[in-house]
Amino acid sequence: MPRRLRQTLDNLAIPLLAVVLGLVVSSVFVLMARTDPVQTYQRMFCEGFGAKGCQTFGDLLVTQTENEDGSTSTVFAPFYGAGGHRLAVVLERATLLILTALSATVAFKAGLFSIGMDGQFVLGAITAAFLGYWLPGQVYVLAGVADPESAPQTLLTVMHLLMPPLCIAAAMAVGAVYSWIAGFLKVRLNVNELISTIILNAIAVQIVNYLVRYPLRSDFNSTARTTRIDDTAWLIPFNRGLFQDVEWFSGSRLGIGIVIAILAAVIIWFFLWRTTAGYEQRMAGGSRLFARFGGIPSEQAALRAMLISGALSGLAGAIAILGIERRVVDGYAAVGIGFDGVMVAILARESIPAIIVVAMFFAGLQQGATNLQFGDLPRQLGSIIIAFIILFSSMETFFRNLINRIQTRLRPQRAPAAEVRPS
Amino acid sequence: MPLAVDMRHIRKYFPTSNVLACDDVSFSVNRGEVHALVGENGAGKTTLMNILYGLIAPDEGQIFINEQPAHISHPNDAIRLGIGMVHQHFKLVPSFTIAQNIMLGIEPNRAGFIDAADEAEKVRQLSEDFGLPVDPNARVADISVGMQQRVEILKTLQRNAQILILDEPTAVLTPQEVRELYIVIRKLAADGRTIILITHKLLEVKEVADRVSVMRRGRMVGTHNVADVSIRQMANLMVGREVILRVDKQPAKPGEVVLSAENLLIAGHGGIPAVFGVSLEVRAGEILGIAGVSGNGQTELVEALTGLRPVEGGKIMLLGKDITHASVRDRRRAGMAHVPEDRMVMGLNLKTNLDENVVVTHYHDEPYSERGFLRANPIRKLARQIIDAFQIKSARVGEEIKTLSGGNLQKVVLGRELYGKPRLIIVNQPTRGLDVGSIEFVHKTLIQERDSGAAVLLVSVELDEILALSDRIAVMFAGRIMGVLDATIATEQDIGILMAGGSLEAETPIPEKVQ
Ligand SMILES: Nc1ncnc2c1ncn2[C@@H]1O[C@H](COP(=O)(O)OP(=O)(O)OP(=O)(O)O)[C@@H](O)[C@H]1O
Ligand SMILES: [Mg+2]
Repeated sequence: MPRRLRQTLDNLAIPLLAVVLGLVVSSVFVLMARTDPVQTYQRMFCEGFGAKGCQTFGDLLVTQTENEDGSTSTVFAPFYGAGGHRLAVVLERATLLILTALSATVAFKAGLFSIGMDGQFVLGAITAAFLGYWLPGQVYVLAGVADPESAPQTLLTVMHLLMPPLCIAAAMAVGAVYSWIAGFLKVRLNVNELISTIILNAIAVQIVNYLVRYPLRSDFNSTARTTRIDDTAWLIPFNRGLFQDVEWFSGSRLGIGIVIAILAAVIIWFFLWRTTAGYEQRMAGGSRLFARFGGIPSEQAALRAMLISGALSGLAGAIAILGIERRVVDGYAAVGIGFDGVMVAILARESIPAIIVVAMFFAGLQQGATNLQFGDLPRQLGSIIIAFIILFSSMETFFRNLINRIQTRLRPQRAPAAEVRPS
Repeated sequence: MPLAVDMRHIRKYFPTSNVLACDDVSFSVNRGEVHALVGENGAGKTTLMNILYGLIAPDEGQIFINEQPAHISHPNDAIRLGIGMVHQHFKLVPSFTIAQNIMLGIEPNRAGFIDAADEAEKVRQLSEDFGLPVDPNARVADISVGMQQRVEILKTLQRNAQILILDEPTAVLTPQEVRELYIVIRKLAADGRTIILITHKLLEVKEVADRVSVMRRGRMVGTHNVADVSIRQMANLMVGREVILRVDKQPAKPGEVVLSAENLLIAGHGGIPAVFGVSLEVRAGEILGIAGVSGNGQTELVEALTGLRPVEGGKIMLLGKDITHASVRDRRRAGMAHVPEDRMVMGLNLKTNLDENVVVTHYHDEPYSERGFLRANPIRKLARQIIDAFQIKSARVGEEIKTLSGGNLQKVVLGRELYGKPRLIIVNQPTRGLDVGSIEFVHKTLIQERDSGAAVLLVSVELDEILALSDRIAVMFAGRIMGVLDATIATEQDIGILMAGGSLEAETPIPEKVQ
């Protein structure tokens, strides 16, 4: 289908143009820092996406490795994992971005501009962090085990199967309820959801700060933090468990979470496009009047969208703790993963396949930009580059008009074969 | 006579919808004339005018303004050349006042601050100069459609437009507002301004235009002096075949009562009562027309009957079932179909494709969904059937609908609503903005539905439409039904009296016409 193909190409052309333009414009600032833009970008992309030893743009694709016998061979760089691949770290972070971006997308598609992902995320995180040590603790007490080290193996296995799903479910429920508040305010009292979610985010951050600093504080460490979750609640990262021997994963805490995130993306896509409930939400989002006119229960659809959206952010929070952080440290509530997710959702223009790609790209850029500072470059430079890329990515209409203009310039010469007369 | 506008060999192809909207179109307008541009829905009229106004770049062709070659690549170029355009869908800022809208972008300022008093004064002066009274300080959100249009016209005049393009200006106006607009148009032309008027109402062409150009399927098929062509000839030129301007229909054979409303009390915008104690009855096999100047409670009545607006008092029965407080879905389940007044916002979701638009009234039923999952094939089949049955030419299954022309969009709505043999069809302004060919089609379809036993409630501000279709005519004024007339003997004059709030008994005692 050439129509489809052209559409896909169009959709790819715009982000690519945006990235290139963003890089070109930020060169000004790179030059101001008295460095060579090409070199800087090479380093940034290598730090973000490259294998160990990546030096040039070319190394992002292929890299030379030394064999045991001293000869060298050329390999596809993304698969070359010696010393740990940076893509694994990218995926670790992208896991959370995918989930929060899905959360935003579910709300946006229902016509609700909820940006409550941050609040739902941190509440989900603190829920998982608390249950992650408290629940196993209760079980040990009940089973009369004094020291988990000496617990019977069967008990540990059963707990390891039960604890993570329980913690995740609880975090999702907390996220869902928190998001539902904004939905309820919207549907019943017509409170603007953008404003209510901003306020709810601020409240959630303070709740988590309080919990971490006082009731859930575990020790007298100078930075307040919660007790580390029990090993039975831990989603063991690939490099410590399943793929212990695969070097590609070493150096990252990437784990089963990425599988959950991609599964969630598939399920949400299916839900939105293939179920009546998803259809209701999208129609209510497209035109509220149309939905009412067609007999769609749109209030119900809005509340359901908010619940699902909140559950996804809660899930992200749970995975961040159970799979990556293992405890909440004071200040974690302010890292803004939920907000980055909103950004990813907007840049991906609410397309679910695009979310996965954009989340990875975003995570890689952030990582590359952060690592720039370990060289001689100012830390702000990375942020400037990212900001320009995002700025240009949001200029969709501008680029679309540009592309349309170019297309109409090119088209007339090639007379359309299957031309339809207007009716 | 000098030419104000001369467009030569214009061509425009839309790659996204694969439509050749203008095919070697040449179009010229004399200075100081009122020139009507007519043609079927999707003929390319709006596209041609958007090209003249710099909103769309043509693929080929030249434009001459006042006999000078012109390069118009942006509306600013057009404005500089003295061209003004009032669009089919108004582009005003509802929360701004009339003065703020008219002066938007050219606000008088004092040291960089907007001078509100001067702004209002300028607008007052302008409206006085052109004899178009407006209240500069009224908010656009609070004024009638006719007044909004006047604001649009003043806006172009403030920018000193010598050539005025009006894209279907009368589609949403009441007859009174239309007459006022005619006077304005004639006055502007008498001042030496040039008016290009796009319209579907051929009677209007006869009344105000000097010359008329006809477009058909992207081509210009001819320009005539209005005095030399009859309405029928114009219609035939537009459609390319003989058009029946008045559908003929058999006398109705009314059956059981399908819809009955008793003493309806309905609140309108902001809780102000809009309908006071309306009672009506529609039987199977008949068309009840509701005539009236727009804004007399028809919209609220239709919304209440269809479940979009709560009723404060009274009772609505559908096929013997009380549906006064039933949900939209329950009403639809019970056999009600609704063709709404506003197809762009209410009737369709322009953000999605044809399939999802046609399935909105059926998606929760088999075979379109099963246990909560949508089934693509039956939905596609439904879309296919509707496209075929209603000959929606440029529509395709699974494609976006936002580039379809007005007539085709209305066919999509009608196709969806009439699918599955509804027992009651409520239609509100079903032919607004449609061309004669499409109107003929819609009218025929409604009569067919009546003949196959559906009850039809037709609300229209077009008296012609009411007279052509209805078996009985109820006239609404100020939220009340002033009288119900038998359509076979009702005259336009009788209806006119009732529409203005008069009473037939008092002024012209013909009691046998009142039921
Ligand atoms: N932006 C667009 N992209 C693609 N196709 C378009 C676009 N605008 C218009 N078309 C197509 O071009 C044709 C002509 O449209 P146009 O709006 O000029 O018709 P019109 O004569 O003004 O009709 P109407 O009386 O319904 O307003 C239609 O088939 C329409 O679908
Ligand atoms: Mg048009």
